[in-house]
Amino acid sequence: MPYQSVAAVYKLVKAPIYSHCFSQDKSLLAVTCKNDCLVYRFDNGPAPQLVATLANHDKTVTAVDISIHGRILTCSQDRNAYVWEPLSDGTYKPTLVLLRINRAATCVSWAPNGYKFAVGSSARIIAVCYYEQENNWWVSKHIKKPIKSTVQCLSWHANGVLLASGGTDGFMRIFSGFIKGLDNKESVAGSPWGEKFPFGSLIREFYHGSYIEDVQWRSSVEKVGYVSHEGALTVVDYANNHAKVNAPDGLPFNALLWINDHEILCAGFSNHPVLFAESGANQWQFAKDIDKVIASASSPIASGNEDLDESEDANGNGTFGISALRKFKQLDLKGKVSTDVKETAHENTITQLLPYAEANGQVSKVSACGLDGKVVIYNI
Amino acid sequence: MSDWRRIDIDAFDPESGRLTKQDVQPPHASQITLQEITPKISQLRSLASSGDSKSAVALAVSDPPYSGDENTKAEYFKAVLETLTQVRQADIAGVVSGLTSEQQDTLVKYLYKGMSIPEGQKQGGILLAWFERVTQVAGVRPVSHFINDRNTV
Repeated sequence: MPYQSVAAVYKLVKAPIYSHCFSQDKSLLAVTCKNDCLVYRFDNGPAPQLVATLANHDKTVTAVDISIHGRILTCSQDRNAYVWEPLSDGTYKPTLVLLRINRAATCVSWAPNGYKFAVGSSARIIAVCYYEQENNWWVSKHIKKPIKSTVQCLSWHANGVLLASGGTDGFMRIFSGFIKGLDNKESVAGSPWGEKFPFGSLIREFYHGSYIEDVQWRSSVEKVGYVSHEGALTVVDYANNHAKVNAPDGLPFNALLWINDHEILCAGFSNHPVLFAESGANQWQFAKDIDKVIASASSPIASGNEDLDESEDANGNGTFGISALRKFKQLDLKGKVSTDVKETAHENTITQLLPYAEANGQVSKVSACGLDGKVVIYNI
Repeated sequence: MSDWRRIDIDAFDPESGRLTKQDVQPPHASQITLQEITPKISQLRSLASSGDSKSAVALAVSDPPYSGDENTKAEYFKAVLETLTQVRQADIAGVVSGLTSEQQDTLVKYLYKGMSIPEGQKQGGILLAWFERVTQVAGVRPVSHFINDRNTV
């Protein structure tokens, strides 16, 4: 078969991976694992090698991101974030970020230029952090109002100023993350989203209702896509146009990724990604499943038993004990719903989608991590 | 101080920002009153008694009074419950598959509401029959939408 939807599967850890990130040249992979962040190198042979364990956090690491300069950013439920500067001997030098929050940090995102980043938290705060030369540490400015609950996801616009966020209060909000001395006003000149962008101002908010699990900008068409816990993808733009489409199987989504200006990949509790396509002005629809279990002649438990009975009749009843053992062995479904279902590459919920290969605004390969401790590369 | 782990630390923090009921209420532009919904309720009753179960149910689960107060919602729910109980068991599957996906979602909201209050529990068997048919047609989608939606009926 020329087209394979799964390009590679890496079973890395025996714990859920909440977040992962490849370096710019795809030679390094950072994944969260319990209280640590693990860094793998990919250049020698097909199997990734563990090269570093970033172990400063003392509670679950919730998110990781790598900047264009190779700095690894981690945040954790211990309310801290660290920036890990790569050293020439392959180790990393941690710098604590002064987040000033009293709840868990939930998500991180480097700005496209790699000089600042945003951290979302359960303290209803987005901390926008940048490096201060005089003090030699990363300081943060807070965006507080009008966030009412945990911030679950963040996304920077390509201009590095507009910051989209979503959370458990059911709002998708767009803030300005403009830092004086770091950003210049030309990057947002002529933006359709507004005229002035002082730091922390609320540019736009969209009410959705359920938990917003992931949000992502598509800067080239000035649109924002977000997925929510009831299993829906919503796309909005600066004119407040609003398009919503439901997951084909009704299960919640955790992640989305723009494939190009007119296609979005979503994934979540159904263990495989789903592609949606724009079908008209402000209309989106389901396009296809990727790596879906083919339920051809699916045999639920009941029909599986019938097959078993038939084969037993054929064998006769001579060796009663053996056939009883065999019967129980075959009845054991090992946690599956039916006996002959092909496994998806991810065996549990997918938690994050990131572009792996991209050319001319078209993503051709996607990396995904999940609660099964795997990172999977999909062909689109 | 042996029980210090159970101390509600948020009670000491005026800025803890614990979510209140108002915080999770969807921002409705206006509130619908009982008077405004009364014509719809009587229309519902007349449709249901005329035996046109398909359009009666479709009307019941279209544009429900999300923004109404508890009393309005309760009155409307009574009419919906009457409509649902008047449909014959054999017709349920046909009625359900004739609904749009949003209408199916709303229907499931009313089924859960019914199962949560005494008036509905008396008709529990009928509600469960409806629930079975809806999930056969639409899968788990209406259920996950019901759990997540802050527009309550």
